Amino acid sequence: MTDGHVTAGPAGAVAQAVDLTKVYGSGEAAVHALDGVSVEFERGRMTAIMGPSGSGKSTLMHCMAALDTPTSGTVVIDGVTVNGLKDKALTTLRRDRLGFVFQSFNLVPTLTARENITLPLDIAGTKLDQAWFDTIIDTVNLRDRLTHRPNQLSGGQQQRVACARALVSRPAIVFADEPTGNLDSRSSAEILGFLRRSVDEFGQSIVMVTHDPVSAAYADRVLFLSDGRIVDEITAPTADSVLARMRGFEPAGRQG
Amino acid sequence: MLRITLKSVRGHFLRFLLTAFAVMVGTGFVAGTFVLSDSIRATLDGLFNQASKGVDVVVRGTETGAAGQASSGRAALPLDLEKQLAAVPGVKRVVPDLQGTALIAGKDGTAVRSGGAPGLGFYWDPQGQSFTLLDGRGPTKAGEVAVEKRTLELSGLAVGDTTQAVIGDQRQSVTIVGEVKFGAGTTFGATAVLVDAQSARTLFAPDGRVGDFQLEAADGTSEATLRAAVAKALPADAEAITVTDFNKENQETLGTALGFITTFLLVFAFIALFVGGFIIYNTFAMIVAQRTRELALLRAVGASRPQVRRVVLGEAFVVGLVGSAVGIGFGVLVAAGAKAALRSFVGIDLSSDLPVDALTVAVSLVIGTVVTMIGAYLPARRAARIAPVAAMRDDMSIPAKGLRLRGGLGLSGMAVGAGLVVAGVTRDDIAWQLVGPGALLVKGGAIASAPVLARPVIRVVAAPFAATLGVVGKLARENALRVPRRTATTASALMIGLALISALGVVAQSTKASVADLVAQEIRSDFVLSAGGGVAVPTSVGPAVAALPGVQSVADAVGFGVRTSDGDDLGASAGTAKGLGDNFDITMRSGSLDAIDRGEIIVNGDTAAEQGWTTGSKVSLAVGALAQKEYTVGGVFAPMQILATDIVVGEDLLEAAVPAAQRFNQGVFVKAAPGADLTALRAALVGEVKEFLVVSVEDGEEFQSTAAAGVNIILGILYALLLFSVVIAVLGIINTLALSVFERTREIGLLRAVGLRRRQLSGMITIEAVTTALFGALLGTALGVGLGVALQRGLRNQGLELLAIPWSTILVVLAASAFVGVLAAVLPTVRAVRLDILKAIATE
Ligand SMILES: Nc1ncnc2c1ncn2[C@@H]1O[C@H](COP(=O)(O)OP(=O)(O)O)[C@@H](O)[C@H]1O
Ligand SMILES: [Mg+2]
Repeated sequence: MTDGHVTAGPAGAVAQAVDLTKVYGSGEAAVHALDGVSVEFERGRMTAIMGPSGSGKSTLMHCMAALDTPTSGTVVIDGVTVNGLKDKALTTLRRDRLGFVFQSFNLVPTLTARENITLPLDIAGTKLDQAWFDTIIDTVNLRDRLTHRPNQLSGGQQQRVACARALVSRPAIVFADEPTGNLDSRSSAEILGFLRRSVDEFGQSIVMVTHDPVSAAYADRVLFLSDGRIVDEITAPTADSVLARMRGFEPAGRQG
Repeated sequence: MLRITLKSVRGHFLRFLLTAFAVMVGTGFVAGTFVLSDSIRATLDGLFNQASKGVDVVVRGTETGAAGQASSGRAALPLDLEKQLAAVPGVKRVVPDLQGTALIAGKDGTAVRSGGAPGLGFYWDPQGQSFTLLDGRGPTKAGEVAVEKRTLELSGLAVGDTTQAVIGDQRQSVTIVGEVKFGAGTTFGATAVLVDAQSARTLFAPDGRVGDFQLEAADGTSEATLRAAVAKALPADAEAITVTDFNKENQETLGTALGFITTFLLVFAFIALFVGGFIIYNTFAMIVAQRTRELALLRAVGASRPQVRRVVLGEAFVVGLVGSAVGIGFGVLVAAGAKAALRSFVGIDLSSDLPVDALTVAVSLVIGTVVTMIGAYLPARRAARIAPVAAMRDDMSIPAKGLRLRGGLGLSGMAVGAGLVVAGVTRDDIAWQLVGPGALLVKGGAIASAPVLARPVIRVVAAPFAATLGVVGKLARENALRVPRRTATTASALMIGLALISALGVVAQSTKASVADLVAQEIRSDFVLSAGGGVAVPTSVGPAVAALPGVQSVADAVGFGVRTSDGDDLGASAGTAKGLGDNFDITMRSGSLDAIDRGEIIVNGDTAAEQGWTTGSKVSLAVGALAQKEYTVGGVFAPMQILATDIVVGEDLLEAAVPAAQRFNQGVFVKAAPGADLTALRAALVGEVKEFLVVSVEDGEEFQSTAAAGVNIILGILYALLLFSVVIAVLGIINTLALSVFERTREIGLLRAVGLRRRQLSGMITIEAVTTALFGALLGTALGVGLGVALQRGLRNQGLELLAIPWSTILVVLAASAFVGVLAAVLPTVRAVRLDILKAIATE
């Protein structure tokens, strides 16, 4: 149930941005957080977004994920043009077709892990697909933690709950903004492995922001953002190739 | 430090505004009480000074017995004394105080009345200074009257018109020849009609006796000199008093009578301040919790504990000062409201404006500020305990101390209190010294254990929401339970007001039921004639009605005072054995009712026991205006509620003891002859009393509901005042909710991000408010009904025989509380819904 008008996206693209700009402030003080970004994210693939701090990664995620409105440009999610949708339609879109994982504070403290996971379904009043739920729980390995409240879980466990929640409603695409930013390397690896498996085994589409070349290497494709523009991309990345590419344009970033 | 304090107040302006509002309402009552009592005093001053203009000495009868509604308790003086007094050297003028009741019919044919205030009759004295002529002339012969300005306005008549009047006991047709103004501007609400001097003697002193004489001194003679001179010329049963002392005496009497209003308002001021204290406490507790890091940082950079405490208390000081300053303005409104209520319900007209003097200002400011600082003291102490290291820690909240001890203490307090109340009410006569502290202990215990009670009660209250609304309902419930202490404090504020309201409701409902039952049980009359508060049924009505065909007998309800030789003041009534026996269900324990027709007295069983009297005792009494004399106790009757008097005497004794003009007849009870046609009799009664303007005819059932109606008016006023404490409680809910929405900014952003609709979000906050309100309401009504039932049990021998619980009122209260929750949620909801999701998520 979506109130937006449907436009045919390019075959294979689950989300698409066309000439996206986002300007904060005006006049002298204007900051072009996004400066004409056009990008497509393919269905069933994992895309990593990298770039220096302040390059507009989060802004891009927020605009794509219907959490923020771009200054100009078009966003299409799963065939729905996001521009001009009212709050109600946007909320429904987020609830039914999008999943999120933030860097921290992903969980409602008064709800148990299980309730946090099923939250989008409960809000929508949709029935839970028990088999799918079991699959996710086993994948993130949380079965014995389901009745715990967030403050009884470790940071890694909390992020795994957040990932499970992002997947439970079978969204068209999941956006994760530095999901492992606050975690140690072992917990990070768990989360990233889990995200990877959900792409490989369930055909989930994922876009993830990261600073870490090792994390980026889990993705199928890496986009490099600088000063609000996409400046490069690699497919089938390795930690080394990403690192090499980052070194390559870091000075350029400084010049701009 | 001062700068930090002020900045903080400015930074959390809205929050402080709500808190200041709570302070304002409480202080407003205090200020209003002071303003009102000043206004009453000023009005009385004006009234007495004006009434006594041109008077230097007052001569009156010596005190014989108790002052009752129908008697001043003083010997009446013969009018002839006037000549004797005029002859005393130094006396310029002697004016007998001829006054009585007087009413005129207005344009619509009904009596001109001002609320329940009396209708007074005076006479026109061209040399007197109490009244000034505004229009026309003073009355000079029988059948002419002058009418006081406001009375004339109310009547819709004009000078020159002719109308019906009842003056003293006489109905007559009168012509309005003039309009007068009372010097003081107000008659304190009473209507006033003036007749000529000659008519006043026959109308107001039909037996040739008056209450007092007013003397004006010749030029050059002082009050005191005149008093001394006059005193020598007086008979034994008269005394002279200077007008200064006389006014002082009257003012004290009236002041005490009106003092209940001030006490009454102060009680509500106390309740409002107490409830306000909770809100102040809660607000500061939450602000301190939210600012843990900031305060810890202050500590980390070197602020001492007392300094941190002073920052918080400083804020309380500013809020308290501002709140109570505005509260003084609100107090003037409260006083204005009370003034208007006095005028329309009681008929008392305060002419004085509403003075705000320095004392009012000072007391209000001090009380408001001190209460605020007391409310903020605990949070301030907690703030001072924040360790500097908290600045570095991530979790913002101060760990809540265990509630178990508090809950245990609270519950045992409630148990002990309940025990005291039960012990207090299960004896014959309610023991207030047990019930009072017991009730307070129960309330205090409830407040203390509320955080422990919150979990189970809110679970139950929220169950239907959780069941029907799923996760939204569940989130709301968990939010309400998140900080039980806070929810409990918020709910307690509502609980206090509602407990009082429902306790009152039970007592009032029981009173109504009991009164109706008593009337049914103790009164056998077929009809009751009455005139409504403040105006007596003219004495001639009784005999006139008794003469109607179909009437078996009548009994007047006249009360007056009696003093025993030991100086005890008792209340007395009078009647004929037949009239009383036919109309009331009197059970004689010994002797017989007929004794009163022989000039003996009969005595209430309780009074007889207290005084040690039995049938046949010879007792010395001063009845009404008569001197001490010996009477025989002819019988003892079982105590009853309707004829709730100590002594009953016969008609003849009444005639001698209370002059007709001073008699205050509250009603005439009429028993129809067996087989009489009641419809025809009613018509005859109505025809008979028509000319008396104010007398109405009611049958038994109508009388029952009239008797109960008085309770409704009092109840209405009490409810209105208690509503203020409910308003404060609502402010508290708004405040708590707004603060917790603020605290949960990130969480709300998250919920919105994962798809919570705006409607669902407002639903969630509204349900949280509703469950909190219902929690307070359930606790309050449960306590209130319990207390009400206890009071009824305790007062079962004092006229509250029947227990009646006003379930419909209680349901309304509960429904209204739920609605109050919805209302309180509006502002916080608007805030939450408007939250920018991204900013919310980014909030630290
Ligand atoms: N709410 C905002 N107001 C003003 N400027 C903002 C806001 N959010 C982000 N910016 C600016 O936009 C640019 C991009 O920010 P962001 O997308 O958060 O970068 P990243 O996530 O890559 O570190 C930065 O220069 C940042 O300062
Ligand atoms: Mg970012």
